[in-house]
Amino acid sequence: MNKYKVRRYITNFITLIILSLFSLVIVYPVYFAVISSIKAPAEYVVNKTGLPQNPTLDNFAKVLTQMSMFKFMLNTFILVGFSMVLYFLVCTAAGFTFGKLRFKGRLTAFTFILFIQIFPQMVIAGQIYQLISKMGLLNTHLGLILVWVAYFAPFGTYIMTTYYSTIPKSLIESARIDGAGVIQQLFKIMIPIAKPMIGTLLIIGALAMWHELPFSMLILQRLQLRTLTLGIALMQGEYGLPIPVLAAAILVTVGFPLLLYIIFQNYITMGSVAGSVKG
Amino acid sequence: MKTKLKQEAKDGWILLSPLLLLTFIFLLYPVVSNFYFSLTKWKGVGKPVFIGFENYKTLFKDERFYRSLKNLGVLVLYIPLGVLTPLVIANTLRKGFRGWKLYRVLLYLPNILGPVILGTIFSVILSQIGPVTDLLTKLGVKNAQEIYILGKSASAINSLAFIFVIWMRVGFGCIYFLSAMSSIDASLYDAAKIDGTNAWQDFIHITLPSIRFSIEFFTVLAFIEVFARMYGIIFTLTGGGPGYATYTLEYGVYMISFSAYQKGYASAWSVILFFFCAAIALIQIRLIKKGENN
Repeated sequence: MNKYKVRRYITNFITLIILSLFSLVIVYPVYFAVISSIKAPAEYVVNKTGLPQNPTLDNFAKVLTQMSMFKFMLNTFILVGFSMVLYFLVCTAAGFTFGKLRFKGRLTAFTFILFIQIFPQMVIAGQIYQLISKMGLLNTHLGLILVWVAYFAPFGTYIMTTYYSTIPKSLIESARIDGAGVIQQLFKIMIPIAKPMIGTLLIIGALAMWHELPFSMLILQRLQLRTLTLGIALMQGEYGLPIPVLAAAILVTVGFPLLLYIIFQNYITMGSVAGSVKG
Repeated sequence: MKTKLKQEAKDGWILLSPLLLLTFIFLLYPVVSNFYFSLTKWKGVGKPVFIGFENYKTLFKDERFYRSLKNLGVLVLYIPLGVLTPLVIANTLRKGFRGWKLYRVLLYLPNILGPVILGTIFSVILSQIGPVTDLLTKLGVKNAQEIYILGKSASAINSLAFIFVIWMRVGFGCIYFLSAMSSIDASLYDAAKIDGTNAWQDFIHITLPSIRFSIEFFTVLAFIEVFARMYGIIFTLTGGGPGYATYTLEYGVYMISFSAYQKGYASAWSVILFFFCAAIALIQIRLIKKGENN
């Protein structure tokens, strides 16, 4: 028994070290971004790793006012907000169908959805650009919303399908007897009972859209329309941009997701495995 | 009965129509039309000119294509470690581990920050004049500037692979495997204890077989990430360089299509990438169907 305990301590100790090393790789970059963002650009040049001697919020003022980050934030909220509404409706409707209704062609359609969701954005980006231009939706938020929902809804549908397939069918049967049409069944029964999974669906979708780069890069070419993520990605290449300013912009970009994560961390981490774990 | 089935089919197609409409227009059409455009010379404006298999001939002579395949090979070689690391950690955590909740918050953080932010921060930290070089110099390392790991081919692709395939996936992997392990029947371990097995034997003979589906699924997800979800991090971390050291097929499509405006040629790259992704998708679909039947 004693030997067992010793071995247990050793394994736990090794695990602790590995976990700490991996954590350090994330803690340091975040720490670096935070301390850099409150240094004056001139101070950063001579003091890259130490704590700031004269902390300042000038960089934040600069990115929010002069560098349009505030506008980018607004754009992101509008884009993600509207996309989420559409995404939510598309995914729950399709998830309900695949999970609960039985008809010819259902399996083919489901397999198609599973198949099509894998392709990288780059494989379709070229043609999407052409399509969006032809539709006259280039440099519009609507264009990006449609593309985002189309690209991310298949995975969301898959998550909802796995959830709905565990719901007893008797629920719909009784609604049918009451004469409820399929749209009513969706809104009156299927959406309310799926509440826990819908939280996960929305988090996965919102994060994916918040982080999305290639489509926004192609469709939103005017500076005033950019999202936060796109703003950061293109900012890095700008000549002579001081690191502290970039760090402030990074913190502005991750602020909102980080806040949500701090509040809902248990829910988010556990929800992330929903729909894909099986023993 | 028959009218009920008909009703169900009608309902089903009504509810599916938004999803199918969007995916047909914005996913299926672009994926399929690539095949046609890969046979043309086209700059993105004007009419595409049909040139047969010329693009493919160019592609098979293109140094960037072989570099991309080689880099994908390096990334794929990291996948076993990317699967094993969280698997082994989760196995230790399974028996309870004080402090795991804190580590979980930290290890999952990369998923919240996202590839573009991570790539940007790391490119600053690891840059030649960045804090890491600074720190090494302070610690007394001579010529710390020459270490510059993103500036050399071999270390650049290996850093990218470590960051993307192992480190970014460890948190999700631990949560994923822990959740799968929690559904294993505890009596299996109790029975093994009576037989006097050790932890290693338990891991090999009980844990691994019980969560086989999850391990396979996680591995397939890793392949998807490597072949189809790396654009954001490559763009921000290395820009594909130095030279073509961190090109992948996905990144090559971007460079050729949007930096060089050779849309027809980029489509040929896309078609090759299509076949890799289609193969992974078919494996994933088979797994999902197998999982449903169990």
